[in-house]
Amino acid sequence: MVDVQKIELDILGQVCPACLLVVLREMNTHRKRLKSGEAQLVIKTDHRDTTRTIPESARKMGYDVEVRNLEGYYEITIGQR
Amino acid sequence: MKSPSGKGDRAGRGAPAARKKVGEPAARGRRGTESARYAHYIREKTNQLLQVMGTEPLRPEEFDDRELLNLDPIGIIAGSLEQVFEYLNETIANLSEARDEMQAIFDATGVGISIIDQDFSIVKCNEKQRELLVDKQLADVSGRFCYEVYCLKNGPGLDCPAVDTFATGRPVVVNEVRKKGKYFQLVTTPFARDAAGRVTRVIEVALDITARKKAEEEERRQRGYYLAEKSKLASVLQSLSEGLLVTDSRNRIISVNGAALQILDLSQKQVREQRIEELFLDCPAEAKIMFDGTAPHAFQNVEIPFRGENRDLLLTVNSTPLTDVRGTVTGRVFTFRDITEEKRRQEVYHRTEKLAAVGQLSAGIAHELNTPLGSILGYARLLLKGDNLLAEQKERLAIIAEQAKKSGGIIRELLDFSRLSTQAPSRGASCDLNQVVTEAIRILRAEFDKQEIAVTFALSPLSPVAADPKRLEQVVVNMLLNSAQAIGSGGEVEIATLLQSDEVQVRISDSGPGIPVENLSRIFDPFFTTKPAGKGTGLGLSICAGIISDYGGAIDARNSPGGGAVFTITLPLPGEAHAG
Repeated sequence: MVDVQKIELDILGQVCPACLLVVLREMNTHRKRLKSGEAQLVIKTDHRDTTRTIPESARKMGYDVEVRNLEGYYEITIGQR
Repeated sequence: MKSPSGKGDRAGRGAPAARKKVGEPAARGRRGTESARYAHYIREKTNQLLQVMGTEPLRPEEFDDRELLNLDPIGIIAGSLEQVFEYLNETIANLSEARDEMQAIFDATGVGISIIDQDFSIVKCNEKQRELLVDKQLADVSGRFCYEVYCLKNGPGLDCPAVDTFATGRPVVVNEVRKKGKYFQLVTTPFARDAAGRVTRVIEVALDITARKKAEEEERRQRGYYLAEKSKLASVLQSLSEGLLVTDSRNRIISVNGAALQILDLSQKQVREQRIEELFLDCPAEAKIMFDGTAPHAFQNVEIPFRGENRDLLLTVNSTPLTDVRGTVTGRVFTFRDITEEKRRQEVYHRTEKLAAVGQLSAGIAHELNTPLGSILGYARLLLKGDNLLAEQKERLAIIAEQAKKSGGIIRELLDFSRLSTQAPSRGASCDLNQVVTEAIRILRAEFDKQEIAVTFALSPLSPVAADPKRLEQVVVNMLLNSAQAIGSGGEVEIATLLQSDEVQVRISDSGPGIPVENLSRIFDPFFTTKPAGKGTGLGLSICAGIISDYGGAIDARNSPGGGAVFTITLPLPGEAHAG
C-alpha cells in the first residue's frame, strides 16, 4: 500500500470565512496530489462553523471528507478514498 | 490568531486601520483611494462568491485590504469553482453513462416494465412492454392511460395490481392476468411517494407467461388424450377373445387380459410379476427362444403345451417385440389361443380320413383274397381226408390249411376294419360304460391271471352314452389286451371311469414301459405296430380309435409321469356329440 502524504494545515484561532479561503487555497495548490489520492489535507481548526463549510465545499469539489472531534479542536481530513 | 497563510505569522484584526499612515502625498492619496475602491470591489465580489460557496461574508476585521488582495480570494474561489465544475462534469458524465446503462437494461430485460402515475397514465415503458402490449401504430405511450393502452378498457380493472399498490403502498403480485389474448404475471411496486408518504408512481412488471400457460394446456390436453387412449386400449385388450400377456425386458409379466386368465385358469395374482418362462415350464426348447425379452424377432403360430391345474392345454402363440421411441426392445407382447380342442378334432378328422382310405383299400384286397383263400382251405381240408397220404404229406397239407385259416382271420379283421370305416355307426343304443368295463375284465380275467397282472377298478357312477355296448366292449377289450401285451408278465392295470359335466371317461393306466415319444402320434395309425412281423396287424388301436370317433369321442394316449402308459377314452353324453 502506498503511503498517503499528510499536508497539515493549522488554522486554530481563525474563523469563517477566512478559514475557508485558506483551506480552498491549499486545496487548489495541492489539487493534483489530492485528486490522485497521493496526499491528504489535514486541517486543525477550533471554529465550529468550519466543520460545516469546509466539508460542504470539499464534497462539492468531489473530495471525501472526514471530521473528527479531538480534544479542544477539530481535525478535518480531505482526500480521496 | 494565525495569519491566513496558516504559517503562524500574526495579522492583527485591526490591521487595515493600524497600517494607515497620515500625511502621505496627494498622488499616493489618490492611489490609496483607488486601491481602497479596488479592495472594496474585490471584497464585495469575494463575499458574493463566498455566498455561492455557502459561507458567510468576510468580516472587516478578518483581513485588511492588502491582506485580502495578497490572498487573491477570487483566484482561490475560481480555482475551487473550477474543481467543483470539473467534479460536476464528471458526475454528469457518470450519470449520463449510468442512465444509458439503465435504459439499455430497462429495454433489454425479458419482462415488460412500466412506470405509472397515480392517475394511471403511463410515465414510461420499456421496449419489451411495448412489444408485448402496445399497438405498433402507437408511437408514444407517455401520458396515455395504462388501462386503455395495455388492457383496452375504460378504467382500471378489478384485477389491476396498480390499484392496490396505490391504495396500500405495498407491492402486489397477480399470478395470472389475461390481456390482449396473452397471459401475464404482474408485479407492482411503489416507486415514488409524495411528502405525505402516499404512492405517486408505481413500477409495473409484466412477465409474459403465455408460452408456459399454453404448454400447460397442451400438456393437460395430451395427458387427457393419453388417458383416453390408454383406457380405450385397455378396453380393447380386455375384450379380446385371445389371451394377451405383456412382459418387460426382464421377462416379467406386467400386463395380462381377462381372456388370458380364463384360458390359463389362473388369477391375476398368479400371473403378474411372474417370469413368462416359468409359466410355460413344459415349453419345448426350440420354442423357448420366443421368451427372450430382448429378441428383436416376431414369432407366429408357435404351438406350446401348458400344464394347467385341472387340464393340459395346447396353445398357439404369437409374440412381437415391444420397442420404445428409439427402437430399443423393452419387452414383448404375447397373444395366444387355446387350440387343444381344435387340434384334437383335426387329429380325429385326419385319422378318420386315413381309416376310410385304408378301409376301402382293405375291403378290396380282402374281397379279392377271400375267395381264393377259401378254395385253398377247402381243397387242403378235402385232401387231408384222403387215406392214401403219407404222414409227411398230411403234415404239409395241415400247414397249408392252418396258414390259410390264419390268413382268413387277417382278412376278417380287414373286413371288420373296412366296415368300420365305411359304415355309419348305430347311435340309437344306450350303453352303461361301467357294465362294458366289467364285462371286458370278465372276458380277460383268465389272460390277466396267466400273465400275473393285477387289475384294480375305480368306477364312478356314470350316465349312459349313446353307443353299441358290443362295439365299446370290443374297444375296451382291445385296449386292455394292448396294456397286457405292453406289461408282458407281472404288473398292474388300473381302470377308472369318470363323469365330467358333458362327457364320460374311461382311463386305463398300466405299469408297462410306456410309449416311446416318437411313436405317440402314430399309435392310432392303421398297420402301425411295434410287434415283430407276423405277430400283429397294427389294426387294433386303429379300429378302437375308429369306433370311438364314430361316437363323437376320442382316445388320448400319453405317458404317465410315474411310468407306464395312460389311455383315456372320452365319449360325449347324449346331446354333446362333437361335430368332428
